[in-house]
Amino acid sequence: MDSIYEEMAASVVELDMEKAKSLAQKALDEQLPLLEAIEKGFGEGIKRVGNLWDAGEFFLPELMRGAQVMQEAVDIITPHLEEGSRARETKGKVVMATIEGDIHTIGKTIVATMLKANGFEVIDLGADVKAEDIIAEAVKHRADLIGVSALLTTTMIGQKKIIELLEQQGIRDKFKVILGGAPVTSKWVEECKADGYAENAVAAVTKAKQLLGLS
Amino acid sequence: MDFLSLLKEKEILLFDGAMGTELMRRGLKLGEVPDKWNIDHPEVIREIFEQYYKAGSDLVQTATFRANGVALEKYGIQNLLEDINKSSGKILRSICPPNKCVIGDIGPSGEFLPPVGNASINDLKKGFQKQARALAPFIDAWHIETFSDIQEMKAAILAVQIESNKPIIASMTYKKTPKGYFTVMGNSLIDCVSELIDSGVAVIGSNCTLSSSDFIELVRVMRVTAPKFPLSIKPNAGNPQLENGKSVYKQTPEDFAKDIKQILEHDGQIVGGCCGTGPTHIQLLRDIIDRLTGG
Repeated sequence: MDSIYEEMAASVVELDMEKAKSLAQKALDEQLPLLEAIEKGFGEGIKRVGNLWDAGEFFLPELMRGAQVMQEAVDIITPHLEEGSRARETKGKVVMATIEGDIHTIGKTIVATMLKANGFEVIDLGADVKAEDIIAEAVKHRADLIGVSALLTTTMIGQKKIIELLEQQGIRDKFKVILGGAPVTSKWVEECKADGYAENAVAAVTKAKQLLGLS
Repeated sequence: MDFLSLLKEKEILLFDGAMGTELMRRGLKLGEVPDKWNIDHPEVIREIFEQYYKAGSDLVQTATFRANGVALEKYGIQNLLEDINKSSGKILRSICPPNKCVIGDIGPSGEFLPPVGNASINDLKKGFQKQARALAPFIDAWHIETFSDIQEMKAAILAVQIESNKPIIASMTYKKTPKGYFTVMGNSLIDCVSELIDSGVAVIGSNCTLSSSDFIELVRVMRVTAPKFPLSIKPNAGNPQLENGKSVYKQTPEDFAKDIKQILEHDGQIVGGCCGTGPTHIQLLRDIIDRLTGG
């Protein structure tokens, strides 16, 4: 069994869409434990892709392609999950956006992709989103976590606004808030009274799990 | 003044420092598009341009980093493209001393080509062309800067070449990896430099992302790949950190200038600063350049 999981992981790292899809089909045909196939197979693959990105071995096109390969393979398996075994449990719901005035999406998209690949349900609101709208969406979706990205020193002040608005509305304790973006530091997180930040996408997943008590 | 003549005449040309961080110091607010200040607060833009020329810059660039068709469309103000670019060009031209140059600044679209995004190369090119057309009457040379995708850079170069015959400085932005300098899209420094040489630009450059100390090695690698080509560099002033709601650059202007001096003692024709650098940095560089060239 472990060898097919290894093959699945390798198909994601090798960015081999056809191989990943045929392995997903094989998992169905041979009635493998599907949840395990996702977690130990394709999920392990995307983790390795994330590590390669952090190590400077992979770049944005490989990272996005890896996520696509993982997603399509998982999409083949997902409809069959509910039939037999338990559904793939979501690790938590995350509302993510790049803050108002900032159109930089790379970092936010990478983190969203990695969270999704690691079993979180992600509602990605895109870029240039008002603090008020991010909060409204988080409330609407009953999110566990709010992730706010800012690349510009001119816009990161909006990250603080999120916390202030949550406090004003008396709902600060309903959400964990993580901040991201090149200029963000632990000091800034402290000053904003946010719950955390991560240096990279892999660390963001670890941080999200930790904040939701999953690790 | 004619850019290539100035480049030939002077051993080293001094570029300007940042625009965005200077605007923040003067009240740019969250959600505002900095480029719109060219029409909303032309007096502030003018003051910043003047400061740079006064500090000793030979080249000052228009405040039009995001004023291309695709980026302005994302902000929903594509109808202001001509006004923004023309206003910036006009202001800068009106105060440019006769022995110095006006540089037309073009930044990336903010969109990505597949597989990362869904942008089409043709749309990006059209967006750059519109900007180049509006800026062309005012400028002596172009600075296409902060690009991380060589394909998008080539589209911008082509767009500018269609609209203007003025020289181009083409600056990619790199990050340092264990395997060397690469853009976030995975284009290596060496590949980018070779492609830029082939594309007919006058100067090959790099700006942003890295701080001045990282540029020391980056320039060495650039030089190996382009032995005789004019090089331009605009490093950041360290990495910005926010404290008490204001961005703070931990690196002092003196440390920044020391790194640039080290680069200039060996190489480099055009130097300036990117994010976090201001007139103080430029003034320090002016002193260093004057000492090195006996000017």
